[in-house]
Amino acid sequence: MKLVSLYPYFKLDNLNSFIVLAIGLFSVLTLVYSLKFIKRHLFQYYTYIILTALAAGAAVLTNNLLLLSVFWGVLGLTLYLLVNLGENDASSVAKKTFIIVGGSDVLMLLGIGIIYYLTGTFQMDRITLHHSPLSSLAYLLIAIAGFAKAGAMPFHSWIPDYAQSAPVPVVAYLPASLDKLLGIYLLARISLDLFVMNNIMNIFLMLTGAFTIIAAVMMAIIQHNMKRLLGYHAVSQVGYMVLGIGTGNPLGIAGGIFHMLNHAIYKSGLFLTAGNVEINTQTTDLDKLGGLARIMPVTYISCLIASLAISGVPPFNGFFSKWMVYQGLIEQLHNTQYLIRTTSILCLVAAMFGSALTLASFMKLIHATFLSQRNNAMGQKRNNEVSWTMWFPPLILAIICAIFGIFANEIPLKYFIFPAVKQVSFLGTWGSGLSTFLIIAGLIFGLFVFRLKALTPVFRQDSAFTGGEVFDLPQTTVSGTEFYQTIKEFRLLQRIYKKAEEGLFDIYTLGKKIVFSISRIFQFLHNGILPTYLVWCLLGMLGLFFVMVR
Amino acid sequence: MILPFFVIIPLACAFLISLLGKLNKRISDIFANLGTFTLLILSLSAIRYQLFAKVIVYRVGGWPPPIGISMVLDGLSSFILMSVNLVSFLVCLYSVSYMNKYTDKYRFHSLFMLMLAGMNGVIVTGDLFNLFVFLEIASISSYALVAFGTEAEELEASFKYAIMGSVASSFILLGIALLYSYTSTLNMADMGSVLLSRGNSLLVNFISVLFLMGFGLKAALVPFHAWLPDAHPSAPASISAMLSGVLIKVLGVYALMRIYFNILGINNIILSIFMFLGAASMLVGVILALGQWDFKRLLAYHSISQIGYIILGIGLGSPLGILAGLFHLFNHSIFKSLLFLNSGAVAYRLGTRDLQDMGGLKERMPTTANTNLVASLSIAGIPPFNGFFSKFLIIVACIQSRQIIYGICAVIASILTLASFMKVQKYAFFGKLNKKWQDIKEVPGIMQLSMVVLAVLCLVSALLITPLFKPYLESAVNVLLLGRGYNKAVFGALK
Repeated sequence: MKLVSLYPYFKLDNLNSFIVLAIGLFSVLTLVYSLKFIKRHLFQYYTYIILTALAAGAAVLTNNLLLLSVFWGVLGLTLYLLVNLGENDASSVAKKTFIIVGGSDVLMLLGIGIIYYLTGTFQMDRITLHHSPLSSLAYLLIAIAGFAKAGAMPFHSWIPDYAQSAPVPVVAYLPASLDKLLGIYLLARISLDLFVMNNIMNIFLMLTGAFTIIAAVMMAIIQHNMKRLLGYHAVSQVGYMVLGIGTGNPLGIAGGIFHMLNHAIYKSGLFLTAGNVEINTQTTDLDKLGGLARIMPVTYISCLIASLAISGVPPFNGFFSKWMVYQGLIEQLHNTQYLIRTTSILCLVAAMFGSALTLASFMKLIHATFLSQRNNAMGQKRNNEVSWTMWFPPLILAIICAIFGIFANEIPLKYFIFPAVKQVSFLGTWGSGLSTFLIIAGLIFGLFVFRLKALTPVFRQDSAFTGGEVFDLPQTTVSGTEFYQTIKEFRLLQRIYKKAEEGLFDIYTLGKKIVFSISRIFQFLHNGILPTYLVWCLLGMLGLFFVMVR
Repeated sequence: MILPFFVIIPLACAFLISLLGKLNKRISDIFANLGTFTLLILSLSAIRYQLFAKVIVYRVGGWPPPIGISMVLDGLSSFILMSVNLVSFLVCLYSVSYMNKYTDKYRFHSLFMLMLAGMNGVIVTGDLFNLFVFLEIASISSYALVAFGTEAEELEASFKYAIMGSVASSFILLGIALLYSYTSTLNMADMGSVLLSRGNSLLVNFISVLFLMGFGLKAALVPFHAWLPDAHPSAPASISAMLSGVLIKVLGVYALMRIYFNILGINNIILSIFMFLGAASMLVGVILALGQWDFKRLLAYHSISQIGYIILGIGLGSPLGILAGLFHLFNHSIFKSLLFLNSGAVAYRLGTRDLQDMGGLKERMPTTANTNLVASLSIAGIPPFNGFFSKFLIIVACIQSRQIIYGICAVIASILTLASFMKVQKYAFFGKLNKKWQDIKEVPGIMQLSMVVLAVLCLVSALLITPLFKPYLESAVNVLLLGRGYNKAVFGALK
């Protein structure tokens, strides 16, 4: 059956075609990875994964807002059911996740309702909304659904918890890749096609993006758990995508969408490598890991490449898309409006700073997990690489990271991004081929110099003394988790971190507090005494009399 | 003529069961289930009149309507009959096993059938005083059923329920008496036309308030809701399912709709009161539900909240709003009765209603857990279950009528509903299995059957909104949109 025959309900265009392709790729890789990883509830697990893949494809392809909301809701449901298969406190994470994601879906429904009221149709390619208070409200409501799915602040707080508690392939599949694709797809769809953007909407998006980048990365660098750290980065990177779309010029939007695709690739890879570490050592606590590069070389290489990609180190894909977003922001500096110019500079600074912090936190992760010294606290079972079904998917993803970076112009941009976003023109030039060559040449040169020196070793090794005591070197490994302790101890930040850990910036905890304080008032009124209840009835009647009989 | 059988069958069953029930334990089960099954078949067969928009009027004792009592079957009453008898059949099936833990099961069945007779009577009657009589039959038997466990808690709840219910009934009676003195007729259709010819007056407004309070209390609208959170959890689970699932809708929502739309005549003030009370119930109910740890009490507060949705939808007064409200009424009767049956299944095995005491029951009671998941998702408005569609329609109808604030209220209530049912799922069914419940088993097959059927209905009834089945809903909506043209429809059917 051709998709054309389903036309008013489904529609394949340049924006959604490559996303469907990516969904397919991630589904296959996740299924391969799960073969050896998942041991319990097999039937439920595979049913939910396949259902997710179908619903995600349908949600992206649909051209009808009502169908979109149905598939969107089903995706939230499978997200919830999948995390419930995890262990330890998975059920409370599941609850939190579904309250945030499902709640935002209801907001989207209201948004869709408003769109229907304004245009009289659910058909997406017939909707064009110009600025009015009501349409801005609808935009905001639908954007919130996209934010919650992708994990932009302030609707992000489920992602770090989810990353820590759900089975690893599920994390790599949903919050790391599919939910990003979907959330940003929705945002791009409404921003590009459904609504005519104005400055206020753009500024709103840019600020949300910039804030997400900085705040989430600041949280990431102090984490001690590999999966949770990656979870915060999954939030932080969303900032770049939102920022890119928020610039409102083709270059920035293309950058945002390209970053979405790249992020899905490397973050999925990173989570899968975290899964390999977990399988091999039974832990993802950075304090307990170390020296795994020797036993798990393939995992190490994949993780290293993905880390460099996420940190925006050339020549990998993350660099290219971030660079496009920066260019999009720089282009905004020519905007006639003062407010836009200021915001753009602010966001540019935030984005670059965030990128540096990302690199910093991944140095910590790589060091603590793969380099440093072997940690005896690891509950080691095996001393070799994991099964091929588990190292192969991250390796593939790492290779794609490299290809998409080195041949960015030739492959991903040409086939996927430029057809979707028209009229992209770069400000400067970046010859990826040449630069890659130069980088590799530099590396070889450095290695050569290092080797030359290493030919005649001039250092000597001896036992260490401190205060007259023999220092046992293997016992005192530098795990790397303490790298950025000083940041945490900085006074102002210390206070913020403390509040953040108490959940002050978590919309879920805040909402809970507010609702329960109202609930307590009502409970106080329901004292269980019959005369009180009769008095209410009387008061209610008096009120009605006042309205009706005047 | 199927109309009188809607009342005769349950009344006869109630009579026979109380007469013969003591002889053999099985007799009451058989009679009750046969009775509810026949009623279900009858309501199914009534659909055919509804699809051809035909109104059926039955003359009780052969007297023509304005003088004698009549029974009327139109789109609305057929629609409500369907949901009542569907739920009561499944609940009755469930009670076969569930009620074994109580003594004197036949008394339960007899009261159950009496309550059903009252509800069916309220729906089919065409006479206002007759409506009051049936309403009292249903109410009084429900007072007795709430107290069925005869523990201190149940008796207290029943006492409160009885007092508040009687206050409401007396206001309703006062209203009916005043209307009778004003119009000199008790026939609903006739009364509608007399009121239309007399125009609006202060007395009618006064009576409106009396009815709003009276039926509002039966429907558990805020601020008349306080009896419900005590009464509904105290009853046996199958009765809670009936009370929350259908009783409050028949005695409250249906009666309000019928009286205001078809007799007293609807106006903007009444509609805005409906909307306000609906939105208030929606929010107050759900906020209170969030703080509960008693499974059934939590569900009871949600009934208040969901009734709020229904009244809000109907109060919009637009065709889409009424359609959404009625659709939600049907859906709510299904998922809420399922939720109460689930709570009963848990209590049947565990003997507790405290959510904190449960945990990880999914491993031991998979059917209960999965059906409860379906019901929770339905009430929380998650696609592809029925609650999603009706809530969505209510939200769209709110926007369409330019009541965006109420639309936002509905959204907030929906999010909080989701939150509260996530709590139920987390504490009762997911998570680690509580050590205490290591050895429990799933409930007996017949209870599982009835829960599974309801869970399937949660999914299937979403189809009611598809173009194929929409005429069914619309025929019910049209009765309300008819307003006081109801008079013509009823008397036209007599010729």
